[in-house]
Amino acid sequence: MVRKLRKFNYSRPGTVAEVVSLLKDYQEKASLLAGGTDLLVFMKLGGKNPKHVIDMKGITVLDHLSWTPADGLRIGCLTTLQSILRHPLIREHFPMLEQAAKALGHPQIRSRATVAGNICTASPSGDCAPSLLALDARVTVASPAGERTIPVREIFAGPFKTILAPTDVVTEIQVPALPPHSAGSYRWQPKITAVDETLVGVAAVVTLSDGGKTIKDVRIGLGSVAPTPMRAPRAEEFLRGKQITDSLFDEAAGIAAGESQPRTRAEYRREITRVLVEQALKEAVDRASRNGGNR
Amino acid sequence: MRTIKVTVNGESHQAEVPDHRTLLDFLRQDLELMGTKSGCETGDCGACTVLLNGKAVNSCLVLAAEADGKEVLTVEGLAYPNRELHPLQEAFVEHGAIQCGYCTSGMLLSAKALLDEIPRPTEEEVKEALAGNLCRCTGYYSIIKAVQAAAEKMNR
Amino acid sequence: MKKAYVTVGKSVTRLDARDKVRGVATYIVDMKFSGMLHGKVLYSKFPHARIVKIDTSRAKRLPGVKAVITGEDMPFLHGEALYDTPFLAVGKVRYMGEAVAAVAAVDEETAEEALDLIEVEYEELPAVFNPGDALKQGAPILHEKLGEYYHPPVITPVPGTNICNHTKIRKGDIEKGFKEADHIFEDTFTTQMTQHGTIEPHAAICMVTPDGKLTLWGNNDSPYRARREIAVALKIPLHRVRLVGAPYIGGNFGGKGGLKAEAIAIALAWNYRGRPIKIVNTREEEFTSTVVRHPTVITLKTGVKKDGTIVARQTTCLWDTGAYAEKGPTVSRMGGASSAGVYNIPHVSIDSYCVYTNNQISGALRGYSGPQTAWAYESQMDMIAERLGLDPVQMRLKCAYDNGSVHAGGQVLSDVTLKTCLNKVVEAMKWDKPSPLTPYRGRGVAFGERFIKTPFASSAFLKINEDGTVDLISSTSEVGQGGETTMCQIAAEELGVPLASVSKASPDTAYTPFDESTTSSRSTFHMGNAIRMAARDAKEQILQMAATQMKVPVKKLTIVDGNVQVVGKPETATPLGQVMRRRYGASGGVLGRGFYFPDGLAPEGEYFTFNCIFWMYCAQGAEVEVDPRTGKVTVLKMVAAHDVGTAINPKSCIEQIAGGVSFGIGFTFYEDLIRENGKTMNPSFLSYKMPTTMDMPPLDPYLVEPHCEQGPFGAKAVGEPSSVPTAPAIANAIANAIGVRITDLPITPDKILAALKNKT
Repeated sequence: MVRKLRKFNYSRPGTVAEVVSLLKDYQEKASLLAGGTDLLVFMKLGGKNPKHVIDMKGITVLDHLSWTPADGLRIGCLTTLQSILRHPLIREHFPMLEQAAKALGHPQIRSRATVAGNICTASPSGDCAPSLLALDARVTVASPAGERTIPVREIFAGPFKTILAPTDVVTEIQVPALPPHSAGSYRWQPKITAVDETLVGVAAVVTLSDGGKTIKDVRIGLGSVAPTPMRAPRAEEFLRGKQITDSLFDEAAGIAAGESQPRTRAEYRREITRVLVEQALKEAVDRASRNGGNR
Repeated sequence: MRTIKVTVNGESHQAEVPDHRTLLDFLRQDLELMGTKSGCETGDCGACTVLLNGKAVNSCLVLAAEADGKEVLTVEGLAYPNRELHPLQEAFVEHGAIQCGYCTSGMLLSAKALLDEIPRPTEEEVKEALAGNLCRCTGYYSIIKAVQAAAEKMNR
Repeated sequence: MKKAYVTVGKSVTRLDARDKVRGVATYIVDMKFSGMLHGKVLYSKFPHARIVKIDTSRAKRLPGVKAVITGEDMPFLHGEALYDTPFLAVGKVRYMGEAVAAVAAVDEETAEEALDLIEVEYEELPAVFNPGDALKQGAPILHEKLGEYYHPPVITPVPGTNICNHTKIRKGDIEKGFKEADHIFEDTFTTQMTQHGTIEPHAAICMVTPDGKLTLWGNNDSPYRARREIAVALKIPLHRVRLVGAPYIGGNFGGKGGLKAEAIAIALAWNYRGRPIKIVNTREEEFTSTVVRHPTVITLKTGVKKDGTIVARQTTCLWDTGAYAEKGPTVSRMGGASSAGVYNIPHVSIDSYCVYTNNQISGALRGYSGPQTAWAYESQMDMIAERLGLDPVQMRLKCAYDNGSVHAGGQVLSDVTLKTCLNKVVEAMKWDKPSPLTPYRGRGVAFGERFIKTPFASSAFLKINEDGTVDLISSTSEVGQGGETTMCQIAAEELGVPLASVSKASPDTAYTPFDESTTSSRSTFHMGNAIRMAARDAKEQILQMAATQMKVPVKKLTIVDGNVQVVGKPETATPLGQVMRRRYGASGGVLGRGFYFPDGLAPEGEYFTFNCIFWMYCAQGAEVEVDPRTGKVTVLKMVAAHDVGTAINPKSCIEQIAGGVSFGIGFTFYEDLIRENGKTMNPSFLSYKMPTTMDMPPLDPYLVEPHCEQGPFGAKAVGEPSSVPTAPAIANAIANAIGVRITDLPITPDKILAALKNKT
């Protein structure tokens, strides 16, 4: 039952160190607030009832987005989905992330929700995760024990569960630069209406060789077809080193669909996984072939 | 409780609010600006849409404390200072983009955020900008037309 | 002959538009009073259970809590057609949305906190969740005292069963009909549970004085009907109950009648007197505890001749009405009457069962049974046409009602415009041309019809002010439909004043005269007629005054644009205000009265009959494209032609059609309130999906405007039928596109894909 927010203590520290120190004191009694579009809903539904809400938005340096060939893309934990949309760096280097941002929610949600928050919520149907999985992204985590980096693929522990400790703070997402002749795509289908949670989301990142005729490398991220966002290793393995043919992607899509583990609407989700994997692979290859790739 | 300073519709307010108060409740209960409506409290209907530093947000999913130091625009502040209607409001009236009116405030503010960013939106862009605002009465046709008409008028 | 009107027939700007865009239009949620308390409700944990014990003592001790009540504190039953509903559960709960206890406190947070402190002990009872099971021998019985509930004679509950109402209609000899048939087709169609989804939730503020005088402020669509329900329930006279309508209601569609949030506000205020108590539903409560559209199972057994003539139709309709009757008995009664379709059929047999289950309460939702019955009869029409190798349009034109056709309910129909509507649709769709549609594209049409709950009265006063302006005093609610504007247009036209001179406030049973309801698409017709009568009455009084003043016989006078003048002599124009002032000085003195009741439809004193003063007809067409890989259906275009009689405000009528089609789209594809063992699984806008801006297809709306003799300025109505034919038109188009027939709503891509697979 949705209720009024229960009482809590709000704070807005100005540094990550302060956040970490507060978390050390409050432990699981605290929740981190970035965009709030998930947290406040969970709190109203009674699923979370923190005594302390720590607003990250006082740390303005965490709202950033940059790209260098060496570091790749760095997304601060306060960067919203709205700022991903139409961002020239995203369009140039990772258009698939704009697709993912577009898939998520609607304008009012996107203007608050953050990419990092979307990962930390760990919804099986979160739209950022498949792409970040396929891009081999990592997150920087601050904690009382210091800073560490974790691959995104290791973060998810179950539906709405991560391996992060109550004292961990995700401060940044890093997406490594793609090798030449590479590009990615994100394709999704909403559950019911056009503005809806994602029924199936598929990200594909390919690297081509042999003048664009061969799949040198590929990573496929699947969302909303298992308890957590997942990769499709068998389909990836099948594709790796294969010459591109008319039927290649359909076959790979069939394998990926077989790897998915949807629970509800299972049969339909598998069908759609197949359709979307094929679409995503085709689009990624198309982008990789254009202008020598790197998109 | 905490003291926040918020500029609402150009007027600065200093107020004592409980930490757990939402921006929506702050606007309606504390400032008694009743034009912003509550429809779901979970960010799914858009009736409570206001502009926070120029961006369309669901005020039910923003804490009043988060708005400290920021600017909020609600439907009451949409009309120009001389109290004439904003071109969007005029277009909604002219095109009959209103039935029960309960979604109207939110629709107007989502539309305002759009036109501030994209002065000449395509029909598709209008639809996307209003995708977070549910209307149960109109089927959206006249609303989309009204936003396009307002854009045209404002660009003239 | 159509007369030229000044205000009527014009697409004037809505009178409420400017206030609404400024955010200053007031809704019940915006209203507050000094000393006002806030109420919250504790709901049942089980779909069917005996209440063993409720302990409210801890909740009562919470600081800020003023009252905690249970069903025992409110030993009354209310209801719209059958008084079967407690204000809060008494003795047992019958669905999970049922109130078990309620709290009034100084603020919402405190009230919510108090709910956690209430302890309820239940003893679970076997439950039943679909009407088929509920009719079986040995099914759990929801209402042991069904035979004792108060109801009008036309409602026919069957004590000892879960049948809340059984509508039985026989025309001709069904067995003879089937014997005459060349083919007999039997098909079953089902519809899902949907909800009104008004963006404004139900809300109410109630205050009861220590002496028992009750005032209720709310967004009830029909203050007089609700007042009757309250007074009968509480066993107090009508004048001790006052309903005040909020200036504006944020959407209705049949959902805001009866007692919803009102029931809790009343129960709390009845027990805790002297302070106003406000209830505002959460979105979840909207889905679980107000009212929904009946899920149905409709079986049609149809006997036809080879040439497509329908000779016999037997219909069996099951309406899952949920735990309490609400409007279920009348919805299923009307639905039954319409279930044989809009066709000339000599032999008809109808059995329509309104059945209690342990689900949430079903009632009226835009179409009042029409969307469900049309889903069945218009789907089957195409199925039969296909089986016989006939064109579905030609078959419809051959079989559809004409003037003089006899409806299953017995009425001889006139002003039938079905074929005009269908012809308009097929013309717009270029049906006569070979289909230009490529593979996976198809087109379909469907008829719709609606009559209204009848006979009921409407009345109006017209107060002519001393400056010649007019206060229209009528209990029609502005729920978004544009009633305020339409009614003022009618008043202005009849009286002869500019629209700008007329104002209409919201209903208040203490001041505005009787009106049965703002429902059923009845207001323009009924209230419109009452307003015309009131305007004529006022006009007569004014002209009498003017006749004396101007020394001209009354007969030669008229009112044009707010001036009294001698017919044909504009130079004699005297402003209305001047006439008033010359007679009464500073005192306003003219009150016009109008009372409209459609006589002769039923024996005196009876209501809920099948005979109706006017019928609404329509047709819609759809063009669709199906993606064979995803099963997704794209509606390329909808065409809708609706007989509205003379459109008082054409733009407003078009808007109603647009809104109706959006309801139809939601009903066809998206909306589905899912329950598991009585628990609602998707009670939010996140998971109960209504169409968004991105989901609406292009729409070509057309008004068919025959003059309706009994209507005000020839008007009929439009709101209810606007979503009736949408779903079958689309299903027929899908069948045309891919040869797949979906008979259970909603049409999901999952179903399409599965059906396509089964086909190959």
